[in-house]
Amino acid sequence: MTEGVKKAQPTVVTKPSGFAILQIVLIPVIAALNYVTGVVINLLKLPLFMDTWATMFGTVVAGLWVGVAGGFLYNIVMAFTFWGLPAWVWGFINVYIAVITWVFWRIGWVSIKKPLQLVLAGIIIGVTNVIPVTLINVFIFGALPTYAGTAWIYAIILNQTGSTISAVIGSAIVAEIPDKLLSLILAAVVASRMPARFSLRPQPSK
Amino acid sequence: MSSTALKILRSGYVRGDTYVHRLDGRTKFLFFLWISIFNYVFYDVYFSTTSLAVLLGLALISRIWKIVLTVITIIAVPILILGLLILGGPVGFPENKTVIFAVVLFGYRIGFFLEGTVYVSVWSARLAVTITAALLAYLTTHPSDLAAIMLKSRIPYKFAYAFLATVQLIPILTNEISTIYQAQVSRGLNVQAKITERLKSIVVLMIPLTLGAIHQTQTRAIALESRGFSAPVEKVMLRDPRFRTSDYAFFGLMAAFTAFFIYLILTRGLVPFMQGISYVRPGG
Repeated sequence: MTEGVKKAQPTVVTKPSGFAILQIVLIPVIAALNYVTGVVINLLKLPLFMDTWATMFGTVVAGLWVGVAGGFLYNIVMAFTFWGLPAWVWGFINVYIAVITWVFWRIGWVSIKKPLQLVLAGIIIGVTNVIPVTLINVFIFGALPTYAGTAWIYAIILNQTGSTISAVIGSAIVAEIPDKLLSLILAAVVASRMPARFSLRPQPSK
Repeated sequence: MSSTALKILRSGYVRGDTYVHRLDGRTKFLFFLWISIFNYVFYDVYFSTTSLAVLLGLALISRIWKIVLTVITIIAVPILILGLLILGGPVGFPENKTVIFAVVLFGYRIGFFLEGTVYVSVWSARLAVTITAALLAYLTTHPSDLAAIMLKSRIPYKFAYAFLATVQLIPILTNEISTIYQAQVSRGLNVQAKITERLKSIVVLMIPLTLGAIHQTQTRAIALESRGFSAPVEKVMLRDPRFRTSDYAFFGLMAAFTAFFIYLILTRGLVPFMQGISYVRPGG
């Protein structure tokens, strides 16, 4: 008698319906990943920061706004919990990183299939990032040597030029170029290893 | 740095029923902005160290002084020491004129200068003040109050969610990376290897962490959707923070001191208490 009547099945949801909600949930993940990389760097005792790689990764896998918001949020959380008020301005570095990564991603340079372009993009990001880093260092931290790893470079340049701004620029160049290059490579490698089922970008409708 | 930052983020709120705890979160946040701004306006060691002493007193009252001192020791003290050695010393800070003392090292006479020492002390004290004020506001405000305050301050609830979710996610992801790290070490990951090998190790640690986090993101998004996160209705909070008499008294104190600070600026300039020291622009 019941033949031909379909049994009611529970609804199983495996993917959220909207891309917007996924983006919102991804923003804190990006911010937290930026932080956790600091823990990894500490564990591996490496002379790097790498706290922008997740901003780059977020930009590549989910779009510019996720990278911008996640990166900025990371600095906001750290400023209001640990680094103190002035540190929130570092958020603009993350915004810049997200924008420039997005530009390179759009022209297809952020891909492990194009290693030369990837390295070049990383170097360009590092070199151009020296400008906002210097501005923040001068106006928020008084152009003091804030990182022990590059303090000796700071001291040498200050001794030769008598200018604290030149010293900040010199130490920023040494710190930023390898840091941003390796961050971009890491972002590209992790993005390339993401299975299709984890894809965060909206799928084209069939 | 990371372990202390993590402890703060993990504990988040330090329970207590002190005067500072009872203040509304908005009052503490406003105080944090107010004291930070004035410390950046004045160029005065006495002003900055007095502000720091007041803040440390409040940290002592609210029983968070141990955390505050640890953070200051990790962040501000190294900058102070490096700065004193380089800018206060004979390296070449252009403002240096007055020798405070000199030491003889390997036959060389090395002088330490007043201008550089003051410059570094002011900037380090400014940092210590803002760090202490931020921790005072964050560690004595309940997370639920923090969310309610954000919504009351007309901050979009999506941003409030992102902020609070980040604070909650950091300890979770740090625990996960610790597990992944131990698993990789048991499989032969060598943290004492050459720098190139250690750089490669980042990839083997970050890929499982990131993929796990993204998988959880999808689950979290479904959970939020099922609870009407994006529904176009007014959000209601469980807690409803309100200003009390103690908050208004605190505002009154801040207003009185603001008037006093403006008077100081008009009558004595931006270096009100230090004698024989002139204002040095950022960067010297």
